[in-house]
Formats: sequence, C-alpha cells, structure tokens
Amino acid sequence: MTEKNKITSSSTAEYFAKNLQQVGFSSPTKAVLTTLKEALDNALDACEEHKILPDIQIYVRRLGRGNLKNTDRILIGVEDNGPGLSVEQTPMVFGEYLASSKFGRGRCSRGQQGIGISAATTWAVQTSATGARVLTKQKGQSKALSCVIATDYKKNKGLMQEKQMVAWEKPHGTRVEFIIDGRVQLNGEAGLLAYLRGNVLLNPHLSLTYELPDIEKVHIPRVSDDLPQIPDATPPHPHTMKLGEFISHARLFGTMKLMDWLCKEFSRLGKEEVEAIRKTTKLPAALLPKAVSSLKDEELQVLYQAIQDAPLKPPSTQSVMAIGEEALSISIQRLGDIDYFSVVSRKPCICDFKPIQVEVAIARLSTKEGSVEDSVQVLRFANRVPLQFDKASCAIVKAITTILWRSYGLKQTKGALPTGPYIIAVSVVSPFIKFKNASKETIDASDELVLEIRKALMKGGQELSKHLNRESRAKELESKKAHIEQFGPALVESLCRILQAPDSRKKRAEEGIQKILGRDDRAAQRALDHAEEKLSEHMQKQKKRLERFTEEDNQIDSDETNREEE
Amino acid sequence: MVRYAIREKDAIPFLSKELCEKILTDLEEGKRPVLKATKCSLDNCIYSPTVGYLTPGSKKTSTELNVASVKKMARAVFMLEIVLRNVKSGGVNTKRELYYVCKGLLKQNKNLKPLDFEDQVESDSVIDFICEILECYREELNCYANDRGGQTYSKQLVVVEKLTDGTEATIDLSQLGTSPFMPKNRPQNLVLKVKKKVEFCLVVESEGTANTLVANGFTHRTPSIVVGAQGVPSNAVRGWVKRIQDQLNVPIFFFGDLDAYTIQNIYRTLKAGSASSLIRNADFSAPDVRFLGVLPEDIAKYDLFAYDVRESDVVEKRSLKKARDALDNDPFFKSRRNKGLVKILEWLIENKKRCEQQAFFSVDAGNPRGFEKIILEKIESGSYV
Repeated sequence: MTEKNKITSSSTAEYFAKNLQQVGFSSPTKAVLTTLKEALDNALDACEEHKILPDIQIYVRRLGRGNLKNTDRILIGVEDNGPGLSVEQTPMVFGEYLASSKFGRGRCSRGQQGIGISAATTWAVQTSATGARVLTKQKGQSKALSCVIATDYKKNKGLMQEKQMVAWEKPHGTRVEFIIDGRVQLNGEAGLLAYLRGNVLLNPHLSLTYELPDIEKVHIPRVSDDLPQIPDATPPHPHTMKLGEFISHARLFGTMKLMDWLCKEFSRLGKEEVEAIRKTTKLPAALLPKAVSSLKDEELQVLYQAIQDAPLKPPSTQSVMAIGEEALSISIQRLGDIDYFSVVSRKPCICDFKPIQVEVAIARLSTKEGSVEDSVQVLRFANRVPLQFDKASCAIVKAITTILWRSYGLKQTKGALPTGPYIIAVSVVSPFIKFKNASKETIDASDELVLEIRKALMKGGQELSKHLNRESRAKELESKKAHIEQFGPALVESLCRILQAPDSRKKRAEEGIQKILGRDDRAAQRALDHAEEKLSEHMQKQKKRLERFTEEDNQIDSDETNREEE
Repeated sequence: MVRYAIREKDAIPFLSKELCEKILTDLEEGKRPVLKATKCSLDNCIYSPTVGYLTPGSKKTSTELNVASVKKMARAVFMLEIVLRNVKSGGVNTKRELYYVCKGLLKQNKNLKPLDFEDQVESDSVIDFICEILECYREELNCYANDRGGQTYSKQLVVVEKLTDGTEATIDLSQLGTSPFMPKNRPQNLVLKVKKKVEFCLVVESEGTANTLVANGFTHRTPSIVVGAQGVPSNAVRGWVKRIQDQLNVPIFFFGDLDAYTIQNIYRTLKAGSASSLIRNADFSAPDVRFLGVLPEDIAKYDLFAYDVRESDVVEKRSLKKARDALDNDPFFKSRRNKGLVKILEWLIENKKRCEQQAFFSVDAGNPRGFEKIILEKIESGSYV
C-alpha cells in the first residue's frame, strides 16, 4: 500500500471536533442554545440521580465581539446544587467523549451517550481558546475544586488545567462556565426562552433563576417537592428485542440455566409464562434446566418466535420516567396566564420494539397572551428535554398535523397545525428514543410512534372539546338573553308604529314576545346545564381513571417484585 | 294570506299592513309568528313550454320567530316602515341610500339602536327578505338599482314614459343621434310605439358589438331595434325585452358567444328567467326570444376561430360542469321544447370548444358590412334555434 492510500484511524474526540455540526453546533445561535442545554441537562440529571431537589442558576452574558464573523463573545454559566464531581470525574465529564454513566443502561435520563457537554467544551476551545471553567464541590469537602477542562483530541481524554482548591460557600454543587462565540436568540421556537419555558413545564420540582441579555433576572420557584422517581435500570422486555440481540444476550449468560435466564434477565417473564411458551414450541421440557450455552441458534430462534407471539404484560412503568398527569397539571400553569388545560398520560406501550410513554398537555392562554390567528405553540420533549429544531420532520408535529382538530373545536387548515392561543406540549419518554440525528433535535416519525402520540392527542382533544362545548353553550345563552332584551321590544315598537296600534296592544305583544322567546332562553339554559353535567361526569371519570391507573400500575410492579423475590 | 293583484296601487301598503297585523296578533296571543315565502331555488322550478318561463312550485320557506330570527324580523319590520313611507310619498332610494337612511334614523332612537347595520350587505339582505315575504320585486318597494345594460337603438321606436308626477314624456329614438335609449328601473311603466313596421329586435350580448352595428348604419338600413345586453341581463334589460315582446309583437333574436355560460346563464335568463327570481319571472322574461348564434354549425360554415376550453381554467371548467348539471336538473333544459339548446350544450360539453360572437368579424374581414350581412343572412335563412 502506498503512503498516499494509507488508512489511518481517528479518535472519537477528533471525529466530533471536526463534525460539531452533527451535535448541535451548526450555527452561532444554535451553539449558545446547545451549550446551555447540555449544561442544564447534566445539572438536572445529576440532582435527580442523587435525590436532590434541583436549585439551578443560569446566566448568559455578552462579553464583546466574538472571534468568528458576526458573532458575540458569550459567557454561559450554569450552577447547580447537585452532588458535585470528584477530581477524577471532572475531566472525564467535561473533556472526554462517550464518557457517560448512562449509556445503554435502559434508563430515561436526559443525557445518554456522553457527547454533548464535551462537544460544548470543544466549541469553547475552538472559538475562544478557553476550555470549560469548572467549580465543583462534593458533600463534606471543605474546599471546592476549580479548574479549566480541555480535551486531548488524539487520546480522547479530558485535560485539567489551572487546578486549585478554593473556598466556596455552597455545601455541594457544580458551576460550569463556557466562553464561546455565538449569538443569543431569546424569542421564537428556537429561542432560549422557549427552551427554559419547556424545562419549567416538565420539571415542576425545579427552582430556576435565569439572567439573560436584555431582560431582567427571573426566578421561577418550584411547585412540587416531589422528586421524580428515577427509574431503575430494568432487564429488557423480550418484546423489545430483535433476534440478533436475543441470541447475543443469551451468549452472555453461558452457564446459567435457561429457565433462570428467561425469568431473571428479562422483565415480564415468569415460570408460568416460560412453561406456557415452551408448550407452544416443540422444545423438550428437559431443555429448561440446561445451560443457555448448550442451546443452538436454531433453538433460540424457535424460542424467540414463541416469546414474540406470547401475550406478555407491557413493560413496567418503572422503566420509563413519566411526569404524570398531576405534576403536569401543576407545572403547566407556570407557562403564563392559562385559562384552561387538559393533560393526558398514556400507559406505557411498545413502539418499534422499545417501551415508550407519551404524555400530552393542552393549555389555552388567555387571549391577551396568545394570538387567535397564529398557529398553536408546540412544545416537544424527549425524555424531558425540549426539542427546538427540525420541527417539520418530528414524529410529534406529524401526529399533531394529522389530527382533525376542527372536530374538537379548534381552527385548522387541513394538514397544518391548528391555530389559536393554545400550547400543545407532547412529551415522549423512553429509555431508547429513536432520534433522527446525534444532536437529538427531532424524533424519528415511525408509524407506531405517530399512532401512539395521536391517541394521546385525541384524548386531550376530547377533553378540550368538552370544555369548549360548555363555553359555547354559555355564550349562546348569554347571546340569546341579549337578543331577547334588545330585539324583542324593537320589533314590537316598529309593528305598532306601522299599524298605529294602541298602547294596550303594544303591552300585550311585549308580554307575548317575552313569553315566546323565554322558552328559547330556557332551552338554552337546559343545553348549558347538560353540557356542564357532561363536563362534570367527564372530570369524575378522569379522576377514577387516574386512581385505577395508579392501582394497576402498582399491581403490575408488585407482581414483578414478587416474582423476582421468588 | 289573500294575495292582492301586485300591480294595483296600494298593493304593497296593504300587503305590508296585513303582514304586520298577523305578526302583532300572534305576539299578543303568545304564538310564534311564522312568515312563509316561496322557495326560490332550482328544486322548486316548474317549466311549462306553454307558459314559457320558470314558475315557482309549491315549496315554501318559513321563518319562525325565535331567538335566532328575532333580530332579522325586527330589522325587516323597521326597514318595511321606511320603504312604506317611500311608496306612499312616491320617493325612491337605492339600496345604498336606504342603508344610510336606516343608520340616520337608528341614531335618533336609542331603543332601536341594536338594529343598526354594520355594513350594506346586512341592510341589502333585509330588503331582499322583505321582497321574499311580500313576494314582490324591489322596484315595487321604490328601491331602484342603477341597472346596467339595455342600451337601445332604433329609427322606428317611440317610447312614452309615465312620470311620477302624472305627466308623460315621449322619446323618439330616431332623434337621439348616436345616443342610446336606456330603459332604467321600471320598464313596465313604458309604452312602446313604432313609426314604421319593425322587422325584428336584435339583442346583442356584447354592448360594444351592438354599438358597432349601429355606428356602421345597421339601424338606418334595416327597420329594427338593437339592444345591448351587456352580459347577464339585469332586471332592466329583462323587463325591457319582455316589454318589446308584449307591446310590439316582433321577432326577437339573441346573439352572443357560443359557450355554456352564455346559453345557460345569459340566454336562459333572458328567455325564461332564473331560479332566484322565480316570483318575478312573469314580468322579467321574454319566452319568444330565439338564439341566433353563434351556433355550432356556424363554426364550420363560416370557418370561425374557435378556442379549446382549457381544463386548467377554473372558470371555464366550472362552466362546463354547470352545463352538465343543468342538463340533468334544470327543468328548462329538460323540456323537449328546448332540445335545440340542449344539443348545443351537449356539443359544447363533448367538443370542449368555445367561439366568441366577434369571430364573425373574421369573415369578409375588410368589409365593414360583413358582420351585418351575416346577421341578416342567418335571420332570413332561419339559422337560429
């Protein structure tokens, strides 16, 4: 092979350093948002992991002209009250690619691969020649670690510079600052405010203070002291695996008995289910006590197919980290002057071989805040992280636009987003969300996922329509009353003038018209009462559904625990 | 309700008071007044060749007093009061003027303020509603429109007009030079005479083409009456042609484009009236009018320029679709009497062609009398439907 054709290998860090656009650094505006997003996601994940109610401060400041053309030099700082990082962890977290505590664990954490925050460090180094400045302190330490982290691209290792121990009044936490070239966009769907707004909605337990250019410092207190239940890493559900994965999984547990492997290393499979599945196949019963390694690939294939056909319980709700209808209900009211909202939490289900849960919140803003003519605001979330780019190809937007919102009382041009002062927030949570790209900007619109999101949206739409129906009935009644008061006497007056009728006839006619139109008035009142009754029945049903939902969920989980104990 | 002969003096005040009395009495008795009117739509049209125009069937629309209709009724009675005042005094107004008259009166009476109109569309619909329930046309309410079309030229025609002050005006059309006579508002008030025998009346769809004929001396050479229709005939044109038919008893020919819109909208309306004006077709249609052209056979005979109907043109495509619907549903075209017109429509649908009336100017193109010659030739040879 000639020198010219020599094949070389690159480190992960080298690859990402040259392809930062793939992870959200494709423009100066996106660079600011992505940097903030990665830092905030890390802070929230760290707090929740250690059962700490997050108290986070954010500051974004313009420091002057940037080195790149048409950019500003921006300081982005995020300070949390999380557990803090050790001296060893700090360069790994901020300077090393694919260094993650979450990769492949089957949990619904915001971060997954350990790319984002290292990419932010790389962007800072590339545009302003300074790494990430970190100040971190763990519980019990008297001093905090202060350092600057950069990346050794050849070795894909974090480099710690300017290391010193300093005093910090905070008992524990981490503050990270990046100085980057970028541009600050506050408003619009891709703006910082929309991003923070999304986080506020999905994290009722978050206390957030932010200081952004051109606006006053804002503090949003938490509305819930309940930390989200961090889902434990659960064994895989057999319906979520493909054949190749199933066989590879089997080869990891060579000497384990087949029965034990199926019961312990998969969720929703117990002895009864395994026995029933074996009976449907031609596999001998003697195979179950044998080691997994003794099974041939063909036998594993037969077993896999039988398991796929078996009616197993859906994955545990513990495997996905939903926000819950109650928490959403509280949180959505922090988005502005909301005069109506409905929230729907679907049961977890399998989409594209993965457990998934969809939650929807529909809120109507008072008309002062929202425009009647504009499209509704869509807030998209994947594992509680707001998605702000590439809206058109996202599964969530596809689901919204394929619903006929007119039947629920909203205005809509066919195939477009509905219009009106509404916020439609859709959250998809799953340990394995199928993003369309590494920067996690949009969810792949598979048919199964779109269908699942549509079901949640339709339920939300039905709830909304009940409310709108009651409103329109009330308006109708009001309008009818006004009509009777205004036009009844005018009609009688004109008639009497034409006929030159005496006052006695006028009086009788006025009484008559009140009597006639009063009947319509009463009919409208009955219609309103009926609509209110329907709405009230619906609220009761929803309450019961929620209670039942929680009970069923608890029951499934306790069955699971019992089986594991056995 | 006992119908009054609509032409009689005081008919409108009588019908109006009768209507108001019924409403007031119902109200006094706590009953919901119901106003019934003839349904003016194609599904309520009857066409009899012996009658010659579209007449209403038995279907009625009714408006019952309820919360939804009380505003409409109150406005209608209020407007009725104003037009009655005009009818009694002989005053006239346009719809636009009535809109402002209403606004002025409503401003003065705060009890009636809720009846105020936001725009003229609202007040126009109230006037139309009154016409529907009284089954009259708006000219009978002294509400006149500035009707377009109907410019008439003749060297033989004399028109006598009865004026509101009781006097008469006599207009000799031969004395008007190149200016046409305009039959405005109520042609029913006009009496027609001829100084010499008139051979025929020619109604031309295009006002410009009618002008050309006259400017080239057609009416000098041929004892005739030439009328410009200016597109879909207005009430004035329809009433005027009807008047010519009834009073002069001369053959009347319509000359226009060869396309579905002309046959179905312009010619049918002139000859038999329209579905929306069912109650006044008797006074606004001239069943004796014949279709002189352009006929499909003229295209081959005179080698005329004809255009393809483009499917991409929304208007033309819609026109053909309406023609198909007309063949299926319009009693006028379903009548055997009009099978000649049906054949033309079928030809248009099948061949997807259209030919303009001015295409005749391409025949003998250098001769200013060429067009006139063809018209006369067609009439003489009976080349019409």
